Amino acid sequence: MLPTFSYVRPTSLAQAIRELSSPGARAHAGGTDVVGCLRDGVYSADKLVSLSGLAELRGVSRTASGGLRIGALTTLAELAANPLVREKYRVLADAAAAAASPQLRNQGTLGGNLCQRPRCWYFRGDFECLRKGGGTCFAAEGENQLHAIFGGESCFMVHPSDTAPALTALDAAVSLVGPGGARSVPIDAFFVPPERDFMRETVVEPGEIVSEIVVPPPLQGARGCYSKLRARGAWDFALVGAAVVVATRGASVSHARIVLSGVAAIPWRVAKAEELLVGHALDDATIERAVAKAAEGATPMSGNEYKVALVRGAVAEALGALG
Amino acid sequence: MTGPCSFMTQAIATAATTATTRENPALPAWEKTNVVGAAVPRVDAHERVSGTAVYTRDLALPGMLHCAIVRSPHAHARVKRIDASRALAMPGVHAVITCDSPEASIPWYFGAKGALSRLLDPECRYEGDEVAALVAETPLQAADAARAVVVEYEILPFVVDYERALRPDAPKVHPFGNQLGEPRVTERGDLASGFAAADVTVEREFHTSCELHTPMETHCSVAQWDGGSLQVWDSTQGVYAIRRGLAQALQLPLASVRVSSRFMGGGFGSKLELGKYTVLAAILARTTGRPVKAALSREETMLCAGNRPANTISIKAGARKDGKLTAFDAKLLGGVGAFPAAATSGYLVLDLYTCANVRVEETAALMNAGQARAFRAPGFPQAAWALEQVIDELAERLGLDPVAMRLKNVPTLSQMRAGQPYTSTGLADCLKNGSAGFGWAAARKRARGRGHVRRGIGVAAGMWGYGGDPTATAIVKLYADGSANVNSGAADIGTGTRTILAQVVAEELGVPIAKIQVEMADTATTQFAPSSGGSQTVLVNMPAARSAAVAVKNELLSLAAAELGKDVKDLSLRDGAIEIAGDAKSVPLAQLKSLAQRQQLVGVGKREPHPEGKVALPFAAHFAEVEVNTRTGAVKVVKYLAAQDSGRVMNALTYENQVLGGVTMGIGFGLTERRMLDRNTGKLVTGAWHDYKIPTALDFPAEFTCLPVDPRDAECNSVGAKGLGEPATVPAAAAIANAVRDAIGVRIFDAPITANAIVTALARTRS
Repeated sequence: MLPTFSYVRPTSLAQAIRELSSPGARAHAGGTDVVGCLRDGVYSADKLVSLSGLAELRGVSRTASGGLRIGALTTLAELAANPLVREKYRVLADAAAAAASPQLRNQGTLGGNLCQRPRCWYFRGDFECLRKGGGTCFAAEGENQLHAIFGGESCFMVHPSDTAPALTALDAAVSLVGPGGARSVPIDAFFVPPERDFMRETVVEPGEIVSEIVVPPPLQGARGCYSKLRARGAWDFALVGAAVVVATRGASVSHARIVLSGVAAIPWRVAKAEELLVGHALDDATIERAVAKAAEGATPMSGNEYKVALVRGAVAEALGALG
Repeated sequence: MTGPCSFMTQAIATAATTATTRENPALPAWEKTNVVGAAVPRVDAHERVSGTAVYTRDLALPGMLHCAIVRSPHAHARVKRIDASRALAMPGVHAVITCDSPEASIPWYFGAKGALSRLLDPECRYEGDEVAALVAETPLQAADAARAVVVEYEILPFVVDYERALRPDAPKVHPFGNQLGEPRVTERGDLASGFAAADVTVEREFHTSCELHTPMETHCSVAQWDGGSLQVWDSTQGVYAIRRGLAQALQLPLASVRVSSRFMGGGFGSKLELGKYTVLAAILARTTGRPVKAALSREETMLCAGNRPANTISIKAGARKDGKLTAFDAKLLGGVGAFPAAATSGYLVLDLYTCANVRVEETAALMNAGQARAFRAPGFPQAAWALEQVIDELAERLGLDPVAMRLKNVPTLSQMRAGQPYTSTGLADCLKNGSAGFGWAAARKRARGRGHVRRGIGVAAGMWGYGGDPTATAIVKLYADGSANVNSGAADIGTGTRTILAQVVAEELGVPIAKIQVEMADTATTQFAPSSGGSQTVLVNMPAARSAAVAVKNELLSLAAAELGKDVKDLSLRDGAIEIAGDAKSVPLAQLKSLAQRQQLVGVGKREPHPEGKVALPFAAHFAEVEVNTRTGAVKVVKYLAAQDSGRVMNALTYENQVLGGVTMGIGFGLTERRMLDRNTGKLVTGAWHDYKIPTALDFPAEFTCLPVDPRDAECNSVGAKGLGEPATVPAAAAIANAVRDAIGVRIFDAPITANAIVTALARTRS
């Protein structure tokens, strides 16, 4: 059951930061992850600081340079339905629409989606795993069908977010506000791999919150999409996902981003495959070459070798949808 | 304490012993029906969707306390010390019972030589095994206090792999070892000559995964004492079975125990038997003198509320060139968890097709995991998974159409029941009409697709092997104003029983559905009915209700004949009135003086015995079309047709509901669901709905046809229905597996067919 905690609903960002600065305080946005974690004893809280009263964290708007500013409280449903996002940043709309279930998308926020804790069944279950302060990663020698094939070290969880790889493919930046002021972190520096610190997933410091996500203006001729492979049709985290953004100039690819979900503790960029696209027409032969390299460097464990094939499949599906 | 295997063992026994008396002969079959068979909306639909229906989980009694249970976090451990003193001192906590308490020694889980455990046992044989329980003013206080119970465990070696459990060096779940008795062998004919006569043989091994019970309403009981009498509200499939179990456990006369279950939120076999939580609630209610609610959390039900056991099934099958089957040699192994349960069913191998030479060997293995329980057609979907894939392989080897191959072997008599003929067998029609409706022949000719997305079609047949327990009684009352009441102890577990009872009464008495009150599932106020399981609810209770309604009708018509000065045979009942042949004017029941004088007419109806020397069972054939993405391993069921011979369609809407639900469960069994236990700790890792994947609406085929095949069985019972809930799920996963094979040219032998399975199998064929 839930621990005993107090609940506050500040009406200004400054007040929210003050409230969050006290020990044992946690931010509460959509609550789809916080409540589950509290209930399952993944972590505890003395105080929940609701962000729902902070109007400045809502809304999707254009930046002066023609990019996108997405308030952290924007729900996944709003994001998926937003005409601007759908038109100019399809990869993000796809990813938001592919997450969870309609009910959860109505409640869950983009900021929360980036900051959610791992979905590893050992982390969520009754196991004192490494990331919860225990001594071992149970997945390493255990049931690791859903675990990492890239960059696993000490902890083999995969990052559960669908929007994170999409935002990584879009070279987005995450704005944080905390007691020390505001800062902006490029999204590829936002997530923390286990080799750096297996006790955290993001660079968000205690007392800090994600305030907004800024996406640069779309490149000329850019297209994107997100291919999510899953065990069932809805309400599921990705077995493997591929967020791709490709810009073409003339007949050939001028810019490519391929970022995977479900395969590593952070959104996993496959630069080698990206390079194979640039300078070539996005035709079947080019796609095939890139797909062949999409899982290079994977080090699967006892139960998740199939993810190597799924990476190739997801990348092929995503690029195929653009080609 | 009713064994989960009771249905199947009873099934055979019932066939041998029923029909000894004919004191209540069956009514003649309906020739034409007005209400039965129609698409009548559920009589309780408004209550269910508006939230006014009171489920056990909703019940709140004055002064009610809430129970929380302390469970072993280890797969195998012994309680060295348990200290509940701190928990007992916490706010709101009233009483605690632990494995040290004398009341906790009620024997529980039975083997061949008696009880294997106790209500609360210091030896914990699976994660979730109960060691203590307590009650507090609120559910939150109880949960907090449960966590404050200090338990020191001696951790013991465990085994959670049922195949490994049978190795000599495996840790023992019980002192007698991990094999549950000797392998059970059923055989007929001569295998050697059967295989000698075969032109082709196929031998394959299959695995199916363990499925967890996840009914919408989790298991829940509320217990209250009045002096020496106990009343329990329970989310159960059978109030009478729970009463019997409680009386036994608490040493009470049956008359002192009342069990009721007005609305219940789903049961697929896990609510057939008495749960420990119910007895704990009763004991703690007695201790505290307060009503006690024990409601399991979703996570608890995933640990301890039962499952469909995983099976390993190997089948060697032989057939002649013409498609006739000559021999089956099958070995079935199932992992039942920490306590005895039915592990497998060889029934389909023995009886679905005509085959003279069959040997089936069944073995059950114990392991340190939650106990298996009846689960929608126990053992049948597992056996169908193997058998129906083997039939397809034989057909392919022989160059026969899979539908034609099956049609060559359709039986007209039950080989399992001493060769007695079936009252009806619609299996051939299910195959024929089903393949016509599905467009099988044209689909067979279609290309399987180019590139990485492949399409394939598959068929599988099935049946269900339990004919029902014909001991039901029902009472129908007709009131002076022409309204009526039907009273049956059956539980409506979500299938529409309540509605169908009203339809049967409306059919006979001509009373509008809206004027019929249905009273169900209360041992104090309703009549005995066997549990709603085994697909028997309609076929055992509706004949009883019909018989009661006919008794009322007969009395009513003779009263009316006397009052109106007419001949009984000129009178009939329709729209709440008596119609007189040759007279345009009808007499509303409320205007009948003789009825007003008596205020009510009462009819008692008993279910007639099963037909003598004959067997009544339902059949099915399912057809699936799938799309398989060979790059991603994704399988999508795009089109589906389920042809069911369950006899008469009692209600067109609930019939389709049942079939749709059965197919959905089959999709889960075949494509998504799998209980996984951590190999290093023995603990459940798929303990939440995120990780244990039941199918969603998006996993259900967009194009779905439910095709009833009604053989107009006038012999099976007086309503002509043969049971639907279970046969609707039996062939589903196998049909999908055959379709996947047709799509990608590679057969997947293990369920569920995940993306992992597809890409791994394809990679193997490439290398």
